[in-house]
Amino acid sequence: MQTLSQEPKASTRRGQRADSARPGGGFVYGLILPLAAALLYEGAFRAGLVQARLLPPPSRIAETLWKLAASGELATHVIATLLRVGLGFGLGAAVGVFLGALTGSSALARRLLDPTLQALRAIPSLAWVPLFILWLGIFEPSKIALIAVGCFFPVYLGVMGAIANVDRKIVEVGRAFRLSRLKLARRILLPAILPDTIVALRSGLGLGFMFVVAAEIMGASEGLGYLLVDGQQLGKPDQILAAILCFAVLGKAADWLILAATRPLLSWQDSFARSG
Amino acid sequence: MLSLAHLDKVYPNGAHALDDVSLDVEAGEIVALVGGSGCGKTTLLRLVSGLEAPTHGEVRVDGEAIFAPHPAIGFVFQEPRLLPWLSVAENIGFGLEHLPPGERRDLVEEALLKVGLAGYGARWPRELSGGQAQRVSIVRALVTRPKVLLMDEPFSALDALTRATLQDHLIALWEASQPTLLLVTHDVEEAAALADRAVVMQPRPGRVFADIPIPLPRPRDRLSPGFVEAKRAVLAALDGSLSQPSGGKSSKGSQSPAGSWW
Repeated sequence: MQTLSQEPKASTRRGQRADSARPGGGFVYGLILPLAAALLYEGAFRAGLVQARLLPPPSRIAETLWKLAASGELATHVIATLLRVGLGFGLGAAVGVFLGALTGSSALARRLLDPTLQALRAIPSLAWVPLFILWLGIFEPSKIALIAVGCFFPVYLGVMGAIANVDRKIVEVGRAFRLSRLKLARRILLPAILPDTIVALRSGLGLGFMFVVAAEIMGASEGLGYLLVDGQQLGKPDQILAAILCFAVLGKAADWLILAATRPLLSWQDSFARSG
Repeated sequence: MLSLAHLDKVYPNGAHALDDVSLDVEAGEIVALVGGSGCGKTTLLRLVSGLEAPTHGEVRVDGEAIFAPHPAIGFVFQEPRLLPWLSVAENIGFGLEHLPPGERRDLVEEALLKVGLAGYGARWPRELSGGQAQRVSIVRALVTRPKVLLMDEPFSALDALTRATLQDHLIALWEASQPTLLLVTHDVEEAAALADRAVVMQPRPGRVFADIPIPLPRPRDRLSPGFVEAKRAVLAALDGSLSQPSGGKSSKGSQSPAGSWW
């Protein structure tokens, strides 16, 4: 046993490196622009510079939000919307990951399935709504089906592309170490496709929020989308803006949750975004 | 110990990479495969590793025919090919998954120490220099104690100084377990520095052109007359392999189209 060359002791250890660029670590910077705009508008309103009938000032939106929250109404609507997004996204993403993995790893499955799926993808998801209502009724199932369809395609495409892009040279390392197909999938393919898969899930989730609004606008008795329609019909722009604000917060929070949950799995990445 | 018998490799696209290559390597011997580009030396190495199958012929290690990657054979690629999502220590232990964690950790620690990277175990591959990464990739292959170690131009991407240092490292590592070592290189100096024998190959299709023994004691002095002489012999053979008209069938094939058309 021979020590060949001495190099200075490594000083950076795994534990210490997580703290740079923590998710949301720079959230203070992110708040500057919206807060400044809100304050500016509020000031203009107080000074009597703007007519606030159609665009209520932040203070009135906050008041509406507070009333909705105090009556417990807001929680009902938020939970209804989140439940729909959660179920629809869960369903669509699960099927998307499964089919994407299938077509990504098997040429036969790709030739059989992908053309059909691509053709289905070309159909605007909203075009399914009448059919879903006929099939599944006007209540929850048709809404969740619509959201699931919307979430499915970005996840499917992302996972399939991620597998196709795995470096052949890295796979060969697995072969040189005689990994079985299963172990190759677990030890090489899975970690290799993880970054792209997470991006795919994030864009799927974004579409989930898009389609939940569509579904709720078309007919719902609760949910943030219902607040939007209700606000329009009763001429309450402050309620519409309160609902929109909720969407912004919920969408951002959901995206942040995915990021935060997966960040420890991706700390190995050597990319431009991390070095900034 | 390692025997290659009448290896032929024709790729599906018709490229004739190897034509009837036979070679016997003794246990613990270091053989350098030298040749210009396109002489099939990398293909030959991949056939020995079992990553690719020959069209004809067979590879045997201690009498056992090789059809697929085999535990007795380790492979060091031209690039480090470390798995970026594993720490340096986890990369080294990649082929040791069957061992209990404690034993694996000891082996990895020992390996890190041997290549002078003690304390680097918790780092990510992206934090290593090219030379460090290649050292990790070499011990990753060696830590499983293969009987045969195959190396595909492992130092070609490094600068000359790092390369010479790593060549010395390699010999020191080799001495610990003395595996049979088959090394592909296009660098004559590397062949003279490392090998007991240089097998010079000839391109289109790849064949053995010359088999040059390099009976120099180790450690080798790169300025000694013997070393310089060995380099000259390999270089001369290499020049010969490239200037020689390519063999029988293909020489006509390569000359006639242009000639007869006019």
